Amino acid sequence: MPSLRMEQSELKCKNGCDYFGNPQWQGYCSKCHREQLQRQRRAANKPSPSSSSASATLPKPERKSEDRLKLTSRSSFSKFEEKRLRQSETLKKANLLKFSMFKKGGSTDDHDHSDKKPEFKIPSAVNEAMKREFNQRFPALAGASRDVRVCVHALALDVLKCARAATADELSERVQGHYQRFLKHMDVSPHFAAADADTKEALIDFVEKHAMTYLHDLPSVVFSPSGTDDERLDARMCERIQSLGWVGAKHLDCKISNDQRARAPLYRAIAELLSMDSASSPGGKLACVRRCCAHVMRLCGAPASADDLLPALIFTVLKANPPRLISNINFVTRFCNAQRLMTGEGGYYFTNLCCAVSFIENLTAESLDMDKEEFDCYMTMPASIGGSSWAAALSLCAELKDAEEQSELVQSLKQQVATIEARATELANSTDVFQKEIEKKVADVLAKTPLEIKPRRELPRFGKFQNIKSSPLIDLDTPPTQEPPERDVPDTVETKEDSAADQSQHTIVPTEITFGEPAKTNILGLETPELQSPHNTEDNWVVKQTNSMELLNSSPLGFTSFDTRSIDELLTPDEFGDNLPPGLSNINYDIDLSDFSADNSAADDLPKPEKDPFSPEGINKDVFDPFVVPKVRDPFSPILESFDQFSLVDSKSNRQSDPFEIVPRPSDPFSPEGLQPEQGFGDAFSPMPVASASTPAQRPLASILDDSDSPTTACLLPTPLLPQQDKPT
Amino acid sequence: MSTPAGGTYNFKVVLLGEGCVGKTSLLLRYIEDKFNEKHLSTLQATFLNKKLNFDGKRINLAIWDTAGQEKFHALGPIYYRNSNGAILVYDITDEDSFVKVKNWVKELKKMLGSDICLMIAGNKIDLEHERTVPLEEAENYAKMVGAKHVYSSAKLNQGVEDLFLELTREMMEKYDDNSQKDVNRTSRVLVVDDEATTPSSCCSGFRSN
Repeated sequence: MPSLRMEQSELKCKNGCDYFGNPQWQGYCSKCHREQLQRQRRAANKPSPSSSSASATLPKPERKSEDRLKLTSRSSFSKFEEKRLRQSETLKKANLLKFSMFKKGGSTDDHDHSDKKPEFKIPSAVNEAMKREFNQRFPALAGASRDVRVCVHALALDVLKCARAATADELSERVQGHYQRFLKHMDVSPHFAAADADTKEALIDFVEKHAMTYLHDLPSVVFSPSGTDDERLDARMCERIQSLGWVGAKHLDCKISNDQRARAPLYRAIAELLSMDSASSPGGKLACVRRCCAHVMRLCGAPASADDLLPALIFTVLKANPPRLISNINFVTRFCNAQRLMTGEGGYYFTNLCCAVSFIENLTAESLDMDKEEFDCYMTMPASIGGSSWAAALSLCAELKDAEEQSELVQSLKQQVATIEARATELANSTDVFQKEIEKKVADVLAKTPLEIKPRRELPRFGKFQNIKSSPLIDLDTPPTQEPPERDVPDTVETKEDSAADQSQHTIVPTEITFGEPAKTNILGLETPELQSPHNTEDNWVVKQTNSMELLNSSPLGFTSFDTRSIDELLTPDEFGDNLPPGLSNINYDIDLSDFSADNSAADDLPKPEKDPFSPEGINKDVFDPFVVPKVRDPFSPILESFDQFSLVDSKSNRQSDPFEIVPRPSDPFSPEGLQPEQGFGDAFSPMPVASASTPAQRPLASILDDSDSPTTACLLPTPLLPQQDKPT
Repeated sequence: MSTPAGGTYNFKVVLLGEGCVGKTSLLLRYIEDKFNEKHLSTLQATFLNKKLNFDGKRINLAIWDTAGQEKFHALGPIYYRNSNGAILVYDITDEDSFVKVKNWVKELKKMLGSDICLMIAGNKIDLEHERTVPLEEAENYAKMVGAKHVYSSAKLNQGVEDLFLELTREMMEKYDDNSQKDVNRTSRVLVVDDEATTPSSCCSGFRSN
């Protein structure tokens, strides 16, 4: 029964020392191999000791051919393949020689960095890039920048110098020696005093990265160096993996489900493994391996143990068949900082990869738990069958995966669009609702407050005597006795209708209510039929006190107006009962009383303002005495005189009556003094029973106003009743 | 390699043992000191870098889990080369796993000699009633090969912390003992080397496997 395990004796050094040997060292352990090599070299050097470097390469071809023979006996390489490889090898060597020759000639400017004579220097572009990155990554260690670069230069130069002469392992040792020296230098140098352990690790990584990135791109220096059979091994490994293309997850006992979705990490792991070849520094390659293993672990499900990781990684390597796998592994093993490779996480995964590669190399029927016959059958099967079918399947799977991803993306985009649309309609709806709400609110507010009454309240009203107190009807510097003259106004008014209205105002005292109607009838019946409309829409008429140009038009009404607004208000239905027609008389009356009393209180002070040049002083003085009032002939004249004209204004239509003048007249000689206003009213309004019926509510008010105690009563009584009398008659 | 860089000891520890004896569970339990259950699902449980303070010294433990299946046994050398310590885990209810441990011990002794500290852990002591590996036999064997023996239960979190601490202590002692030997050895190597190459231990021969 064949065993996967090699016998101990096979592993031991050929020299018989107890250490383990290695096929790359011709079966010697490292120590014996080196001794052997040195012996060979010394023998070769003897004839011409000066040209050590040239002669050092001599023994190699011999060794190579031995190896090659061994390999050919085992592997299935064709002769042609063999020839091709040999050619490429010689070509590489020639390249290298040419390369160093050229560089030797081309080194123009000198660098102060190395104790050894530099054959050539690292291109300044590389140097500059290094400097920049160092300053970026380690700003705190600016002083160490030069040290680090010197180390990189020394390392690169040393490697290049020895590349032709030394074997890959010597090269590796040299590089490791440089790392060690740099570590020691960091411990000693004051430049690195500020760096902690982690920074030092990062620094050595930095050195490794830059030196190796530079060297990696040079042909056959560090990556699959000349003198090694890395390339051959690559090809062999590639072939081996191809021939194992039939190996599936179940052969390896790995827990990889067949669900395409669950296999997604597999493709990522394969991609990472493939990208390892393109990374140029050992650290970069390690990072690729680490990422690859992270994907593999996700493939296994969490928490994954090493028992799961290794088979899955083997499976991944088999399916990925990464290019130049052995060269890459050897490059990392030789030139990566050994410390990190031993203990770091990257090192652990890299070790797993090495294990996977080793397992694949030594894979037998037993390691797959299958019959030897079956295994042989699979292995003799042309590689193309298993491999290509898997490759085709893999690419199909990849396509499928892509398609799935795309469709998922489309789905998610669709969903997004749908949600956006939903939100948009929602927003539109809410704006509609909002608009309606606002409209409704506005309508409500408008319904609640259809008219702006407030400003009017501040101003004097005809209908409310309380207000009159605070603000005089006519905003003039006139004595309190001004009111009475207003009553006179009607007398002076040219149009009879107006005078009638005024009279009614004065006479309101007993029955104000009835007044409005009769006034109307009067108007209708009398001289000014055109004025009917304003009267019908009683609200419209506003008597406006104007001392401006408006008054230039002559008022058709001839109404004596004191305050346009007050009249307007008076006419609003709010002020009166519904069935109570607004009467001008009401207003006038109220105002007169209150205003009068209010002014009285300030009577003493008022005379001064009366020094108005327009006001007749004598009259005023007479008027001023409350007790004398009755005798006063016409106390209103001063106020009236202060205005040139009056006009009526329709508040609704803003129509303005022609301005009119008020001409003060002495008390009408025709007026019957004894006649009671009440009587006059009674006469005037008797024809309107309805109006009188609606009045009772107002009567008390009238009676209050009528109070004889008030100084105004005295004034009221003598009001000119003449026009009133005229009308009824 | 355990060169103390900046006063920090770097130790590499491998977990060896048959599959299903609980290597991974031990590692998970050890990690759990820092992480709670919730995080476990996102953890990778194959590699752990644990920083310790031990006797006032900073120690960096790199613990490597290995695949325990029989078919991967041949890969052992790749895993354990340059290790400072090895934890050999067996299942006390599984006689075969103990035999496997014996094989590992032999192999390690041959390959690494006394450079490696060995720790034998009898896991799953929560299944004491199903024990098939006699306690005396295990302890005697451990004594014979110069290894420490510890009982542990990853399930009950018994002996896990001790296991690693004990190993750490031993590795430190061994390191301090070896430092003198190392000096001698490197000088010896240098004598034969007429080039200024840095010394490398013999185990590095496996690097290019």
